[in-house]
Amino acid sequence: MNSKLERQLTELLDAEIITSETAQKISTFYHTKDENKPNRLFTIFGVLGALLCGLGIILIIAHNWDDMSRNVKTVLAFLPLLIGQIACAYSLIKKRSITWIESSTTFLILAVGATISLVSQIYNIPGNLSDFLLVWAVITAPLMYLMRSNLAVILHLVLATWYACYSGYAYNVGSHEPWWYFVLFAWLIPYYVTLQKQKSETNISGVLNWLIPASLVITLSTFTDGDTLAFIMYVGLFGMFYNLGQIPLFKNQKLRRNGYSIIGSLGTVFLLTILTFEWFWKDAFIESYNDIELLITALLFLSGIAVLGYLHYKKQIKSFNLFQYAFLIIGGVYLTKGLGHVHGLILANILVAALGLFAIRIGIQRNSYGILNYGLLIVTALIICRFFDTNLDFIFRGILFIAVGAGFFFTNYLLLKKQDKSALNSTSNTQYHE
Amino acid sequence: MAQLFVPAQMIYQQEETIGTGKPYKFKTQPIDPTDPFRGKFITLNYEIESFQTTEDWPYGEDIFIYLKTDKDGFAAVKTVSKTLIAIDEDYVMAKSYSAYNGNLNFEFPFDRFYMNENKAYDAEVSVRNAQRDSTSICYALVFVKDGTAVLNNIFIDDTPIQQFVEEYQQSVE
Repeated sequence: MNSKLERQLTELLDAEIITSETAQKISTFYHTKDENKPNRLFTIFGVLGALLCGLGIILIIAHNWDDMSRNVKTVLAFLPLLIGQIACAYSLIKKRSITWIESSTTFLILAVGATISLVSQIYNIPGNLSDFLLVWAVITAPLMYLMRSNLAVILHLVLATWYACYSGYAYNVGSHEPWWYFVLFAWLIPYYVTLQKQKSETNISGVLNWLIPASLVITLSTFTDGDTLAFIMYVGLFGMFYNLGQIPLFKNQKLRRNGYSIIGSLGTVFLLTILTFEWFWKDAFIESYNDIELLITALLFLSGIAVLGYLHYKKQIKSFNLFQYAFLIIGGVYLTKGLGHVHGLILANILVAALGLFAIRIGIQRNSYGILNYGLLIVTALIICRFFDTNLDFIFRGILFIAVGAGFFFTNYLLLKKQDKSALNSTSNTQYHE
Repeated sequence: MAQLFVPAQMIYQQEETIGTGKPYKFKTQPIDPTDPFRGKFITLNYEIESFQTTEDWPYGEDIFIYLKTDKDGFAAVKTVSKTLIAIDEDYVMAKSYSAYNGNLNFEFPFDRFYMNENKAYDAEVSVRNAQRDSTSICYALVFVKDGTAVLNNIFIDDTPIQQFVEEYQQSVE
């Protein structure tokens, strides 16, 4: 049992809120609960150890021991792989602890990388880093299902993202669209869905709720030529993420575990703020897009609409939330860009301000200082942007800044009062019951 | 099993080519970059990576390069083709990257030669110095069989590059 709980129990006993018998029961309850729980720290150190050993072997191999004969090197190439496979087989057959499973799988994945490295090195096998990462990701992909290993999913996602970046970004000569990324990504989805259904409260599912959207955000631009449609593509992606984050499975978790909502919201506001600048509409429009971009953009918007439709169908939308529809409004504004830039510019400014106000409203409703101040920051960001590119009077701009500054104090004060009031109500209710 | 099979298959194919394939000498020039997993390597640019042809060639496609040996014993291009052709010559695959003024440029895939981390940079320097000072020839020994090419070693005037670099390092010390 942890010392924090012990301290709290003593405090409650001293204040005569619980009896010593209840304290004893609570203590026994947590003691037995802890006994059944795997030692998380031990797992973390086991995995870290395996990770460091595996990477160490890769580095030693990278030295290139040219004094050794080809045969010796070939035998050595398979040694870490065999050790990893034996360790995995042992932990699987003997049904060893999570620490064993996670550590041996991590080691095996890195050992596979080491083996392919050494074979490529011995025979000077052609292929750049992206080919190497792709082969590595593909042949270690079954491990996540075979071993039921969470680290295998994370490493798979890291390899897939790395491959996509190396293959798709222009700094690498002969870059091309990393289509295999989608195959690698689709491969982990069944594991992720099962995890969310069965163990949505675990740390790993919270980590994946961030890593999966982050990986998609990083790789999406490898499919664009850097024109304006890429911008709209991301609007669709962030809109889809935000709505995905509103599905009860994610929404009912703590906000910090809901990477979809946070990345979706931040991304939408960021892109929309860029749209509020006149230079974007006048100068930055590059209207040459390829079919792939058009297809991906359409797919992202359609999936965003599908998630929104699902939420409506399941009656999960209790009140209007502008963040859920922002991507459709931006898409609409983009489609009407032929009418000139003035209406788009005005609409974008109104939309950012409205999103800020909506966040403030949600913050007050949910008693969340975080969301409240996020809304205020959106409004502040908008005003700071206008500070630079409009011909407004100094006095007007000054008043605007003071107004928002006062808004920070006022709304936070309002929320504090609301919380004090509800705390007071709950205390008086308790007294009444007594 | 796949984890064992993939590297084993890689080894088998390379060994088969080295054992029964025909060796070719490709004149080359090394430069030295790094790969985070496989270590230091030298990138090779081959002298024969272009061919006179009047045909149109697609960009970035795999093409077939048919080889011959010139009078000095080095590899030369006999002909290039977009498809396999029925001639009794060895071929290797390459990527086309530009075609203008009747000249097709392409890149051989065997452009990486992995080296010991203490020798890769010196390999680049020593070969450059050797070529500046004299008429030294640097070439890659490549075994070719049924379209598979295995880069076996790099030689400077018939001295393996590892030995050449060691001698250079001793002379510098």
